[in-house]
Amino acid sequence: MSRKIERLINLTIALLATKRYLTKKQIFSSVEGYEGTAETKERMFERDKDDLRNLGVVIELGSFDPLFEDEAGYRIAPEGYALDLGAITGIEIALLSLAAEAWKGAALDRSAHSALTKLRSIGVDSDLDALPALAPRLMATHEGFQIITTAISKRERISFSYLSQSYESELRTIEPYAIATKGSHWYVAGRDVAKSALRTFRLDRIDSEVIPSKDGSGYEIPPGFDLLASLDLEQSAHLATVDIRKGKAQLMRNAALSIADKGEWDRITISYLDSRSFIDLLLWHGDDVLLIAPESVRVELTTRVGEIIDLHV
Amino acid sequence: MSKSAQSPLSRTARLLDLVPYLATHQGIELSRLARDFSVTEPEMIADLTTLWMCGLPGYTPLELMDLSFESGFVTIRNASTLSNPRMLTEEETIALLLGLDLVIESLPSERGDLRLIAIDLVARLSSRVNVPTKLSAKPSIPGSVRAIIQDALHKKLALEILYHSSYSDTVTSRVVTPIEFRDENNCEYLWAFCQRVGGFRSFRLDRIQSAKLNEQTIVEQGTLVEEKAEKISYTLRSHSRPRAIMERFSIDKSDYAGDLPAVAFSYEWIQRSILACSGSVELVQPASARALIVRAARSILERYKSG
Repeated sequence: MSRKIERLINLTIALLATKRYLTKKQIFSSVEGYEGTAETKERMFERDKDDLRNLGVVIELGSFDPLFEDEAGYRIAPEGYALDLGAITGIEIALLSLAAEAWKGAALDRSAHSALTKLRSIGVDSDLDALPALAPRLMATHEGFQIITTAISKRERISFSYLSQSYESELRTIEPYAIATKGSHWYVAGRDVAKSALRTFRLDRIDSEVIPSKDGSGYEIPPGFDLLASLDLEQSAHLATVDIRKGKAQLMRNAALSIADKGEWDRITISYLDSRSFIDLLLWHGDDVLLIAPESVRVELTTRVGEIIDLHV
Repeated sequence: MSKSAQSPLSRTARLLDLVPYLATHQGIELSRLARDFSVTEPEMIADLTTLWMCGLPGYTPLELMDLSFESGFVTIRNASTLSNPRMLTEEETIALLLGLDLVIESLPSERGDLRLIAIDLVARLSSRVNVPTKLSAKPSIPGSVRAIIQDALHKKLALEILYHSSYSDTVTSRVVTPIEFRDENNCEYLWAFCQRVGGFRSFRLDRIQSAKLNEQTIVEQGTLVEEKAEKISYTLRSHSRPRAIMERFSIDKSDYAGDLPAVAFSYEWIQRSILACSGSVELVQPASARALIVRAARSILERYKSG
């Protein structure tokens, strides 16, 4: 096993150090580790190329002179191999470290850690003292998380079973566009293939493995697509006026667009997505809140409260 | 260490990343190096031994990498070909981009300077990854609150927090002795001894409105005995919107059949939650709490009729 690793490292060094393309013959005669019959060497080399490609090392195929049909050769272009973020400062390294450390114990922990190792190898010391005391943390423990991020970068469709509002598992296939988190939930958005429309899914409602598939891969993601902005757009669909008791209904107070003092009560305006979940929120606060407008939602609310009474008398 | 970290491919990746790391950390302690790469010391020695056999074609001492690690400190020479860190993979870039967005959102508003630097980093990283979308991470908890709690845990100091209890819908100031962070149902909690109630309580981090160190109060952690909060068992019946009910009452999927068993720590919370399902759910047991729900619902209805 060690010999294979040695050979892969030696091949990387040889292809990276050369300015000219190395032919297979040159590789086999100079890079240590290629042994056996011509056929064996050939097979070894093909596998090694695949392995390096899987590690993200790009091997270029080219020839010395485009005018002559030379035997093709191989090399690794340093600009395709090495990390290049331009000149980087200690503060930037500190910010990136904070970004990587936010993943501790969560889905992309391993990738964040290896990214951090590469950044630390640049040789610029992290200037952590220049930052205020912050310890942001990403909570992402869903098993499918990594599969989804990989699928987004590879433009691969994913399928999973999703708990519908009626709590039934439905099989969904989407072309994932983006993943984002807000209010302690993670969301993935993409084009639902069967519905041929944009849909957003909450990760904790996925109740199966996430299966990537090569079918229909290579789709386009709308440039600049912003998942949270599209959620926010929906969220601010309607406006309501609510009276809330002083010192109460903290959650609604925080979400208020405006607050006016009315003595014992405050009058706020607030936006809501759909009337039912807005009524849920109002009823959580019992008689500390009173919906003033819109009238249609007031009517719906009193009907719902009547239903609660009917269920419990 | 997991088996996958020892597969030929992940070892090769590690060796490629080890060289630039060593080049900028000459003389690093072997034990620290092993820790930095999440492997054991024997595994790290095996890696270094393999690396020692590698170099440019020719493979004479002139071309091989020159590693020394017998003394417990590691140095590397003659490794310039591999001495640049490798490009970030797409997954590494995605991890950093999401992390950076969280950092940006967590920065205090007066640090616009850092915000600009971070936004510039996002632009530089984004151009290197095949993802044209904005990767967003909005923190549900102010980054500074967690930093202060971490500081208190580290220094074994008490904390003064302003806490919004959603059960009673009140904001109270409390002095607490922090014990640890806990994750439950996708939320992060602080498990702490609360001086105000004289017992252990868990505080949802996103409901802590502010926190500061309280240097005066020192509590011997050894004297704190954990007590169990009293659990209330109750039963629900779903009439519509079952997913919302299962999520709101944190009922396990395996219990989804017929009447739903659930557990809570406060009658007030149960009552509020039933009301907040606006008729989708019925409290079956305990019967005594049904009457309270009817009373609360009637009082709401009265307000709307008179208002």
